[in-house]
Amino acid sequence: MRILALALLAGLPAAAGAQETFLLRGGTVYPVSGPEIVGGAVLVRDGKIAEVGAKIAVPRGARVIEVKGLRVYPGLIDSATEIGLSEIGSVRETQDTDEIGDFNPQLRALIAVNPASEHIPVARANGITSVITMPGGGVICGQAALIHLDGWTWQEMEIRPSAAMILRFPLIQSARSRAFADAPSRTPYAEARRNYERRLRELSEFFERARRYQKAKAAGPVEKDLKLEAMLPVLEKKLPVVILAQRERAIREALKFAEKEQIRVVLAGGDEAWKAAAELKAKNVPVILGPTLRLPSQEDDPYDKPVTQPAELHKAGVKIAFGSFSTSAARNLPYQAANAVAFGLPHAVALQAVTLTAAEIWGVADQLGSIEKGKLADLIVTDGDPLEARTQIKQCFIRGQAVDLESKHLRLYKKYLERQ
Amino acid sequence: MRKTVLLLGVAVCALQAAPPSVFAIRDARIIRVSGPVLERGTVVVRDGLIEQVGASVAIPPDAWVIEGQGLTVYPGLIDALSTLGIAEAATTTAVSTRISSRTPGPPATPAPAETPGPPALPTTTSPPARGPEDRPSNTSWVRAADLVSPSDRRIETARSAGFTTAVTFPPRGIFAGQGAVINLAGEKGGQMVVSSPAGLYLTVSSTGFSSFPGSLMGVLAYIRQIFLDAEHYKLAQEAYAARPVGAKRPDYDRALEGVLEAPRLLLPATRAVEVDRMLRFASELKRPAVLYGAHEAWRAAELLKKSGTPVLVSLKWPERSRDADPEDVEALRTLELRERAPSTPAALVKAGVPFAFYTEGVTSSRELVRAVRRALEAGLSQADTVRAFTLSAAEIYGVADRLGSIDQGKIANLVVTSGELFQEKTQVRYVFIDGVKFEPLPEPAEEVSR
Amino acid sequence: MRPRWMLILAAAAPLVAAPPIVIKNANVLTVTKGRFQGSILVRDGKIVEAGEKVLVPEGAQIIDASGQYVMPGIIDNHSHVAAESTNEGSISVSSMVSIKDVLNPEDISIYRALAGGVTTILTTHGSANAIGGVCTALKMRWGKDAAGLLFDGAKPVLKMALGENPKRRGGSTPFGVSASPPRYPATRMGVEDVIREAFTEAVAYRQAWRNYEARRKRGDRVLPPRRDLKLEPLVDLMEGRSLVHVHCYRADEILMILRLGDEFGFNIKALIHVLEGYKVAKEIAAHKAGATTFSDWWAYKMEAIDAIPYNAAIMLKKGVLVSLNSDSPELMRHLNQEAAKIVKYGGVSEDEALAMITINPAKQMDIDQRVGSIEPGKDADLVIFDQHPLSNYAKVQKVLIDGEVYFDRDRDASQRGEREARRKTLVEKAKELQKKSGPPSFRRPS
Repeated sequence: MRILALALLAGLPAAAGAQETFLLRGGTVYPVSGPEIVGGAVLVRDGKIAEVGAKIAVPRGARVIEVKGLRVYPGLIDSATEIGLSEIGSVRETQDTDEIGDFNPQLRALIAVNPASEHIPVARANGITSVITMPGGGVICGQAALIHLDGWTWQEMEIRPSAAMILRFPLIQSARSRAFADAPSRTPYAEARRNYERRLRELSEFFERARRYQKAKAAGPVEKDLKLEAMLPVLEKKLPVVILAQRERAIREALKFAEKEQIRVVLAGGDEAWKAAAELKAKNVPVILGPTLRLPSQEDDPYDKPVTQPAELHKAGVKIAFGSFSTSAARNLPYQAANAVAFGLPHAVALQAVTLTAAEIWGVADQLGSIEKGKLADLIVTDGDPLEARTQIKQCFIRGQAVDLESKHLRLYKKYLERQ
Repeated sequence: MRKTVLLLGVAVCALQAAPPSVFAIRDARIIRVSGPVLERGTVVVRDGLIEQVGASVAIPPDAWVIEGQGLTVYPGLIDALSTLGIAEAATTTAVSTRISSRTPGPPATPAPAETPGPPALPTTTSPPARGPEDRPSNTSWVRAADLVSPSDRRIETARSAGFTTAVTFPPRGIFAGQGAVINLAGEKGGQMVVSSPAGLYLTVSSTGFSSFPGSLMGVLAYIRQIFLDAEHYKLAQEAYAARPVGAKRPDYDRALEGVLEAPRLLLPATRAVEVDRMLRFASELKRPAVLYGAHEAWRAAELLKKSGTPVLVSLKWPERSRDADPEDVEALRTLELRERAPSTPAALVKAGVPFAFYTEGVTSSRELVRAVRRALEAGLSQADTVRAFTLSAAEIYGVADRLGSIDQGKIANLVVTSGELFQEKTQVRYVFIDGVKFEPLPEPAEEVSR
Repeated sequence: MRPRWMLILAAAAPLVAAPPIVIKNANVLTVTKGRFQGSILVRDGKIVEAGEKVLVPEGAQIIDASGQYVMPGIIDNHSHVAAESTNEGSISVSSMVSIKDVLNPEDISIYRALAGGVTTILTTHGSANAIGGVCTALKMRWGKDAAGLLFDGAKPVLKMALGENPKRRGGSTPFGVSASPPRYPATRMGVEDVIREAFTEAVAYRQAWRNYEARRKRGDRVLPPRRDLKLEPLVDLMEGRSLVHVHCYRADEILMILRLGDEFGFNIKALIHVLEGYKVAKEIAAHKAGATTFSDWWAYKMEAIDAIPYNAAIMLKKGVLVSLNSDSPELMRHLNQEAAKIVKYGGVSEDEALAMITINPAKQMDIDQRVGSIEPGKDADLVIFDQHPLSNYAKVQKVLIDGEVYFDRDRDASQRGEREARRKTLVEKAKELQKKSGPPSFRRPS
């Protein structure tokens, strides 16, 4: 019974079936938490890493998987996606990220994840084994989930059903809308500022309401309010708030807000995070950086600002992870990291930004992010540096189970290669 | 009887300065523009024309004498591109230099041109245009001379700032219509017109994405097609006129008639890239052109000189919008444009490019002076400044034989000031238009920014 | 006169008679003639010599590229940068418009593309309509004026578009703007109809001019037909004076346009995006159409749901001339990394991958005699990377166009301080002026 309960807690299917014990050996193991092990091996048992080292004896009944000439890494973690919540960008019916209303903390991304989304096998095929998938509408968008990219159902996929509260910080929007308009619909700054302050007030009031609810609840029974109920972990600092903000002003305002409301925050996006590096460091706010392969925010910014920024932040002592902020481009997450390396970010830090650091930020460093005894066996076997595009992912394991690297893409490839 | 006449006379004075048919301004400082300054001279005006001007001029006995000591006399100022006189234009937009085009797709570099007034749009109740054949936004046959009226209340304000003349154009559309050089006074429109047509005013405003043209390149292609059509039309009309019997007659096309009769084309160009573009475009159309806007023309001065194209410089210097977000980071390019734009006139002088000023809707003397001073401070000489408001404008529009300087035989358009024009303390005392004296309105109080 | 802000970024003004340049000791990736370790001699804007041992002429400027990689300048044959208009989307056939009319040589995207190794682009009309406008080949000669950007001698390219985009305004749709009134076509059937209709008109127009010429030669006094700028580019295409590139996605529309090209007698020089090209690679190869595609974009539209990253490799294997394009001012900065993905997805060789961003796009623009590989006689359009360009860690160090250094990473870095200083100065000046002169000059009419 206890084992069942534990299994459920761990998110593993209760009837685990054939949980293979196997040994990956002969290749170079990159634990990420420590130096690489040439000729190393990894023993996997019951879905977890049982041992990592240079010489591991083969237990009886264990399968041996030879990976000579290859490398073993932890599965990659994408810290910002909409995987499972969005299928085809231009087709509204396939979008489940943006709900109506400004304050929806009670919404849970997890239960809307479509386990049959094609984006899952596609991302997985390039070594992404777990992702944060996040809602996006309004101001308080809902709860993001940390999921494995494998499972028959979202329940099987869940690692942390509620990994973070997503907050899209309000903006002072005085620029003309970029939509089809020759009409100069430029909101005067004064008006835009007023709108912003009003939204900020509304946001603060919402937090205030949540606090009153919290107090009332502590004092005695209250009528359940789902929205405010969902805010409690945030107020208790158990659930981090991921604040989406790009520009310097928004970032600073967001940090001010976080301090005022006494909440744990993670900054996501952070196009101009470098301008607030000292403050981010001082307040210990980690940053999920958006794609390094993007255009600079300002016309006069150095052309390479987006790719030099990660190194700058790292040097300033800011904790960084990378997110693709995509569904279809999640598979390119490692290349976002690679470009940061080209422009100054130490390779080890870049690799951590898509593995261990991400796991730390999401509070699952005891389970994921490195090849260490006791952690889940999320592993990839590659023929080279996973941050390089020319590298092939040879094998992938999630929770110790080999996952199919095939996807619709590979199927169509094979099919049409055959056409005469 | 005499009392009645006197009372009538007084009544008339109450409306406007009584028009003597002969008057003289004696012993004033006279800036003729066409010649050296007369430190002490006299101008004699008869029947709306300058009869004499000189250092020692015999004043006719029937002349009303205005003592000119301490006063300076200039030729009346010319606003070289405006909608003055077309009253309905006052409620829509001042003449727009803004090149408006949508660029969907990847983010476009924002245009540095400031002050987004509404683009010149035709009323869009008609079905969307399917191409140049539908002649969208084309009112090229419309003549400002037919539309002007002295009842436009902006005229009085312009006069008070020293303007006697404006080159007025219909405001709306891509082919907006034919302009006219008008004097800012008269009892009816017809009396105001000095010269018409003065030129075809073209803008590059697109009408959005649902009707042709929906882009800048669409507008240019459209203009190009219209000019080709006009040439063909001319051939067809001539061929038919030569031998109409038995031949199919060509359609009458008023849109093309307007294009054919224009003595020059006015094309918008604010940035150097646009100047380059429009010069090329104009040479393709094989018509004399005048570029208006010109804020970055200092960078294309050599090009302009080579092409012989005159330029109209807008006095609405580019500046940061008051509505802008103070924390917006602006492109260096934009900052440079703002900084350097007022140096354009001096650069044009240096390169030998003819140019004139236009106010884009002056509302007070104070505002005019403020704008002009920026050009002065950026290196334009006083003499060149005055010339740009007077003789140069007249030359550009081919009326320099009649206007723009204080010379015998020219129209008596004068502005009399208490000192040097465009100094903050200088006041406009009188303005003469066709020999009729006007006194300026009191200066409105400084508007506090809303 | 180049403005200050541009000079700060631009290369130093070249001397009137520029000395020859030798790029020394590099790993030279010629793309067409293999690779070697050696040098390249550049003179008068051309590659004069490229080999393991190159004689350094007197007075030559040396660029020491030891340990670095030189490849031909990257060619992006589908871009929208450096132009102030992208779409004339109001009508379904807008072939009268030309991107050349609205070039913007001051678009910062040019400089940023240069910093990614791009030396030549085709700046194109968008895909809002079935027949778009005429596109122009440009070299990324940052600092020059509009005329100075033109790739002299390159043929104009007509743009066409099939599929979802040109029919988007055919009625109200959940995505995009509901058109009022709707613009024909609303279906893929209608897209073909629009194109066929236009070319039928063009054929008649061509005939009318031929008739006129014939009569004129006979001495008849006759009026020429009215020139129609919409139809002339279509006639140019049929007569071989211009090329056509067609934006397309689905296999059915790809086949449609190949057949239509056959019918009206013109070659589809390049299919753009062509994400289902792998399904009809055979037919594409038979028509001798080129394909210019993305490495791995997919799932953003219905017509992209079957897009696979193996598209380029399959088409290549089936004999199609394949290139990669960016269609984006961002993607164009790392086309070399896109090429690397084609090695990953489909196992193409390094040279094949590099060809997709150099000689192949050049061929699809008919400029391959001039650019696209490192061979004597070709334009000295060269990129120096600090690592192999197919590595995600490679950085562009220098870019030459016509033998002139247009981008230099070190110089760019050293000039940043100057730009910032200039900005600060101007912002201060503006503040002073604001204080001095009070409210802005003109009260806006309310």
